[in-house]
Amino acid sequence: MPSARQAADVYESPLHETRSAAWLGLGLGATFGLCFFTGLWSHLAQDPPSWFTYPARPAGLYRITQGVHVASGMAAIPLLLAKLWVVHPRLVEWPPVRSVLHAAERLALLPLVGGGLFMLLSGAANVARWYPWSFFFPRAHFWTAWITIGALVVHVGAKAAATRDALHRAPTLPDAVKAAPDDRRAFLGGVAAASGALVVATIGGTVSVLSPVSVLAQRRPGVGPQRVPVNKSAAGARVLDRARDPAYRLVVEGAVRRRLELSVDDLREMPQQSSELPIACVEGWSTSARWRGVQVRRLMVMAGAAESAEATVESLQPSGRYRQSQLNAGQIADADTLLALELNDERLHIDHGYPVRLIGPNRPGVLQTKWVSRLIVR
Amino acid sequence: MNADPLHVHGQPATTSRRGLVIGLAMGVPIIAYGIRGVLIDASDTHPGELARWVVGVAVVHDALLAPIALVTAWGLSRVVPAFAWPAVRAGLLTTVVLCLVAWPLLRGYGQDPSIPSLLSRDYGTGLAAALGAVWLTVAVWAAIARQRS
Repeated sequence: MPSARQAADVYESPLHETRSAAWLGLGLGATFGLCFFTGLWSHLAQDPPSWFTYPARPAGLYRITQGVHVASGMAAIPLLLAKLWVVHPRLVEWPPVRSVLHAAERLALLPLVGGGLFMLLSGAANVARWYPWSFFFPRAHFWTAWITIGALVVHVGAKAAATRDALHRAPTLPDAVKAAPDDRRAFLGGVAAASGALVVATIGGTVSVLSPVSVLAQRRPGVGPQRVPVNKSAAGARVLDRARDPAYRLVVEGAVRRRLELSVDDLREMPQQSSELPIACVEGWSTSARWRGVQVRRLMVMAGAAESAEATVESLQPSGRYRQSQLNAGQIADADTLLALELNDERLHIDHGYPVRLIGPNRPGVLQTKWVSRLIVR
Repeated sequence: MNADPLHVHGQPATTSRRGLVIGLAMGVPIIAYGIRGVLIDASDTHPGELARWVVGVAVVHDALLAPIALVTAWGLSRVVPAFAWPAVRAGLLTTVVLCLVAWPLLRGYGQDPSIPSLLSRDYGTGLAAALGAVWLTVAVWAAIARQRS
């Protein structure tokens, strides 16, 4: 029989040690770092500040950065849970506060732990399209990321020396509790396996070869109208009648010499460009498809817009945050930036944006505006 | 509790004072930038509710889920044969994270009848198959460990 003291010591495992914490910390630094920078990239794509010009190329970059964003977030879930398990004894250390600096360090653990858990929880919920809150997910996720990363910087500063030391072959800092190397390897290996399993179970929405085993993926590449998934339906966007209206005209106006009003037939009679481009969602799914339609730059020339002009692409959607998107001069100049009329050799399905949708290289899916009604040139 | 300031449950203090000062100097402005953003975008971020979530998940994890995990791991490590414990522990962690991520999918919270391509899998069967594969791996790992021990 264990003694009463032993029986109560749930911290008896020698894995509550510095070296295991150090390895898991490195893994979390890498995964949270990847998440942060790929998340910033998506933010720059969607809401570029004045000093930044979002590039049109490489075409598949956004799909890769967002695939990495979601995969590294998934991988971080077991790492964070394991890390918090390893260091849990320190939560109840005594005395709770020893100095002003110590208080500041511990205070910064609240945004670190709460922020880290919230980032992973809210991200995974977003991928499942589950919003058990009233705030707007992208904004809350974005600003909490800064708070979390700031707290991570504090933590890394405080622990860098001890981490470096603990990862040395022969640590110099006193290490009263120490796991046997085999124990530690098995533990860390198990955590890594959990991360790997979670990534494989969810990444199939973007890595199509893994789709058959990605049993928790939100999407299956190739499943959807015209073999491409849909994020917003025509019914959901309330455009069914307007999109089918024979009186539909695409309007090009604003800073142009000739205002254009083009019917679907007018657009079909123009020279068509075929482009193989991915549609890539911030939620971590993507599919490559063949799009065919009119180059945006051709319309701009037709309308007599300046070469440096930019444009707002507006949808028939009566409302919604994503009813319009922006094209910068570089994106307009790209030969593959199209107003597409066809997808995979068929007339665009209404859920893909019939009669006309925007598709361009290296753009977030939500900015590939569907049911386009107007180009406003400036 | 351990009164020795250098040793917490047998572990030495690991904070570098100089590193912490540098970390605070660099990290606090970043935290402040994030908080400023939350407040400027208050109509989108709903600061009060967001703060409840961030603090809430930390409290629920640290005060409820972590203790349950600690006690469960501590208890099972006494019941499960030592050679099998690392494999079982890894299997438990993998099971927990798969179930967590599967939960909203199983419940179908994000379903939208107008978008059949969204959440179009049979997640119950998928989760069962994944857990079957996980525990088969655990059994193989444990069997190999037993042979070696």
